Amino acid sequence: MDFTEKDLRGMVRKWVSPDRVPKRVQVKDTSDFFRVDYDDVVILGGVPYFVRNNEREGRFGLEDEQKFWVKRAIDLLTGEMKVLKWVFRERFEARIGNLVFDCVRSPQKEARILELVRGRADFMQGTTEQDSAGHPLRILDYIHGRTLSQITPLLGSDHEDFFYNHFPLVLDEYVGIVEAIRFLHQSGEKHGDIRRDHLIKDETTGRYRWIDYDFNYRHGESRFAYDLFGLGNILVFITGRGDVTTNRLLTQAPGILDRLSSDDVNIVFHNRVANLKKVYPYIPTLLNRVLMHFSAGAQVYYETTEELLEDLGEAREELERR
Amino acid sequence: METKNSSQPKDKHFLIAVDESESSKRAVLYVADIVGGFPGFAVTLLSIIPEPEEDFFDSGEEQIAWTKEKLEAANRMLENYRQIMIHAGFPPEKVRIRSCVGEEKSFSEAILDTRCDLSCCTVVVGRHHKSRTEEFLFGSTSTRLIREAKNCAVWVIE
Repeated sequence: MDFTEKDLRGMVRKWVSPDRVPKRVQVKDTSDFFRVDYDDVVILGGVPYFVRNNEREGRFGLEDEQKFWVKRAIDLLTGEMKVLKWVFRERFEARIGNLVFDCVRSPQKEARILELVRGRADFMQGTTEQDSAGHPLRILDYIHGRTLSQITPLLGSDHEDFFYNHFPLVLDEYVGIVEAIRFLHQSGEKHGDIRRDHLIKDETTGRYRWIDYDFNYRHGESRFAYDLFGLGNILVFITGRGDVTTNRLLTQAPGILDRLSSDDVNIVFHNRVANLKKVYPYIPTLLNRVLMHFSAGAQVYYETTEELLEDLGEAREELERR
Repeated sequence: METKNSSQPKDKHFLIAVDESESSKRAVLYVADIVGGFPGFAVTLLSIIPEPEEDFFDSGEEQIAWTKEKLEAANRMLENYRQIMIHAGFPPEKVRIRSCVGEEKSFSEAILDTRCDLSCCTVVVGRHHKSRTEEFLFGSTSTRLIREAKNCAVWVIE
């Protein structure tokens, strides 16, 4: 479908305030994201999109870094805000401590998962269209809401209030978050970049949605262990109502820091405390036992979401009995 | 009256899973040292190519070329190890090599599937010295082999 400039300006006028309507509207070719600017229009699958700002991480990648290949845009037919994600392939070596492993940013992977999770309330939704060069460009529904990392530390007046009055519900939400990843794993897919800022609580549904599925990592013997590591970090984060770091204890509770051993910290990030029962003694034993699977002293590790969910179920029951 | 069993006793069949590491070399030398020259043993040397998922390649052609190159390198390595076994006293016809692409399976699954196909009595691997973090994030083939193997012995060579 062809649109004249007059058509497009008329559509733009419908969805933005008069002072935001540009004097000229240019339809840009979609093959090169660097050539697509603010106030341009791109046409994908016959739908015109009015391009707004580039996305920044915090929601989508590296901290405060503009992502030129990820742009917000208004669907000029419906007025809905979308996120357009151009193809940006990169292979790189990720580093955790002394460990180095291969990673890739793959638009094909994200396109595949978007198909897989279509209609699910626990995943970002979107479609894939070919850009003018034939590459898969993803058109994602913009999710209105805040990330788990923004929400959790604000719940309750202090940790004890949080734990008794908010945590049971937060834990239920977390179980849903893990079940969503179980669905991916059972379908043979990894998330690839499990982080607490890749979970947005959708204001329209009140449920968390996973975002950003385009990362993949070279796994070893255990295909999903790295995803499980991410899930563990999130569990420790929500249980502690934020990261409980050794540095924070040093300044705020040096007595507690003295009681910690080298086994009590996160197995990878040694400045984060995993044995939170030593900090907050009212944390129930079974829940703390789950946390300890992600500690430097762990003797056994979770390899599947099933194992984690089973232990979480028992921890949840213990929490209810209190 | 003396009855004579005409059927030959079946060879004890070892499956040695190898890669380019020093620990794999130690595993091969250990088996060569322990059973080389004795009758009644056969060995299959197995190499599994840890093929990355399709997302790591720009095209199917690139993936095919990568796999071909790795398989050729694996076969060269296996042939070297085969010669070590022969020099240790194994009859050439009793030392076989096999290479395959891991695809969706983990290393341990692929090794145990091969063991099952070939009815091997013993699986041998070298022990990679991984840090706890590495084992946590990526798993350990020898640990999983010990846990999952059935109807066979597992030798993990230090």
